[in-house]
Amino acid sequence: MISLQHVTKVYRNGVTALTDVSVEIEKGEFVFVVGPSGSGKSTLIRLLLKEEEPSKGDVFIAGKHLNKYSTWKVPHLRRNIGTVFQDYKLLTDKTVFENVAFALEVIGKQKIVIDQRVPEVLDYVGLGEKLNSYPDELSGGEQQRVSIARACVNRPLVLLADEPTGNLDPSTSVDIMRLLDKVNRIGTTVVMATHDQAIVDAMRKRVVELEKGQVVRDQARGVYS
Amino acid sequence: MRLDYYFRETATGLRRNGIVAFGAVSTSFIALFLFGLALLIYRELNLVIFNVTENVEVAVYLKDGPDHSDPPQDTVVRLTGKLASLPAVASVTYQSKDEAYERFKELFAGKPVFTENVSPDAIPASLRVHLTDTGLFDQIKAALDCNDQQQPNGSTKLVCTEPGVDTIADFSTLLEQLTQITRLLSLGVLSIAIVMLFSAIVLIANTLRMGMFARRREIGIMRLVGATNWRIRIPFLIEGMVESLVGAGLAVLALFVLKVTVIDGLSGQIRFFPFVRNSDVLAVAPWMLLASVFVAIVAGTIGIRRFLDV
Repeated sequence: MISLQHVTKVYRNGVTALTDVSVEIEKGEFVFVVGPSGSGKSTLIRLLLKEEEPSKGDVFIAGKHLNKYSTWKVPHLRRNIGTVFQDYKLLTDKTVFENVAFALEVIGKQKIVIDQRVPEVLDYVGLGEKLNSYPDELSGGEQQRVSIARACVNRPLVLLADEPTGNLDPSTSVDIMRLLDKVNRIGTTVVMATHDQAIVDAMRKRVVELEKGQVVRDQARGVYS
Repeated sequence: MRLDYYFRETATGLRRNGIVAFGAVSTSFIALFLFGLALLIYRELNLVIFNVTENVEVAVYLKDGPDHSDPPQDTVVRLTGKLASLPAVASVTYQSKDEAYERFKELFAGKPVFTENVSPDAIPASLRVHLTDTGLFDQIKAALDCNDQQQPNGSTKLVCTEPGVDTIADFSTLLEQLTQITRLLSLGVLSIAIVMLFSAIVLIANTLRMGMFARRREIGIMRLVGATNWRIRIPFLIEGMVESLVGAGLAVLALFVLKVTVIDGLSGQIRFFPFVRNSDVLAVAPWMLLASVFVAIVAGTIGIRRFLDV
């Protein structure tokens, strides 16, 4: 599903974010990418979204060779990849329903599809009662649920999560992890960058540890360190 | 593709961008008004030229036949042949007394003072001559053997010895001067209009850019969830188009108001002078709309480039 082969990323300002990174992730896996700040976790996520180009090496995701993927097709690539971020990235002037519907609207889905799928997916993340609330009226955990609902509404093959629990307290983080686990159980490949030790240790999933842009550990059913 | 999506997004953009959008609309209004005005002035002056000279450089007025009838056929044929054989002459057409009177009535339509007091008898038949080049009037003069002659009232009149010819009139200098004035005036207004159209382009482009900047977070999210660049751009393009078209609509309206208040007022006072009509304003309007679409397209192309790099 995801394959990085000898990937090196040097930013234009000379900073080396990744050095010769090779990782294979199978369909349906749940993988933590861990490491301290600046270890290259976010760069790895950005490469998978083709927000950045690798300086060296090849990146494959969902059967696409991203090095050879034309820029104008990138929006279509992203329709197969859900994304969740630390800051939720919700539109504050739209309701919960509208925020999730937005993801379907901008890819041109019919209203009838939107009206059916959005309540469905909000129910799935446990926000079936909050369709008409605005993001400001929700707790951090609820906002992150909305963002997960938005990432999943188009039934993506891969879910990329960059520090999804970074702004949440431990018990809310556990709820979010349960939700991501649930998404993973229906077949979605989940890659989550985090430095939340408690969560990684509790979940016992595959752990890829980065340090200074290099893979220092790749362990099935691993712990944080 | 869902149309209501685009219109909703456009409406949101216009609402949020209110004052800036107002600036863009007013600039495009002024630009398109001046553009329309230039076209109207051009039409007005052409109207004047046509009415004064009928685009004919030389008129050869013929003596009437017996009892104010048209001149005899053979005189017309002979003179036409003679004029047509001159190298200076491009073409000759005959205008009978009836035709001349019809034109006179047309020219002064709605001015009964003239039409009621001038009878068809008083208007002469004429040969209308197109010259191959302006300034060749002397050749016509020589061919018809015409000379200046002092009139009893002190003015001079060209009197011709050629049988059947009363007098001849040279419009070529006048025509040239009028054409030059037309060109100058419409060029002047047109260049102001072009400068204004340019600033309209810049302002609308800037409005779109500010709109995109204000919504860059939203655009970022759109890109994240897989919106194509066009899906993001089109609402902004429609926004620019709306601003420009509203400006054009207001400009057409203003031209009508100008025509009805100023021109119609003038034509009530200045009696025998041709003025543009409502139909002229109507004829100019499509060009103004076209110009506004052009403005919108150029502004859109410039304005929406940024914030979309993948």
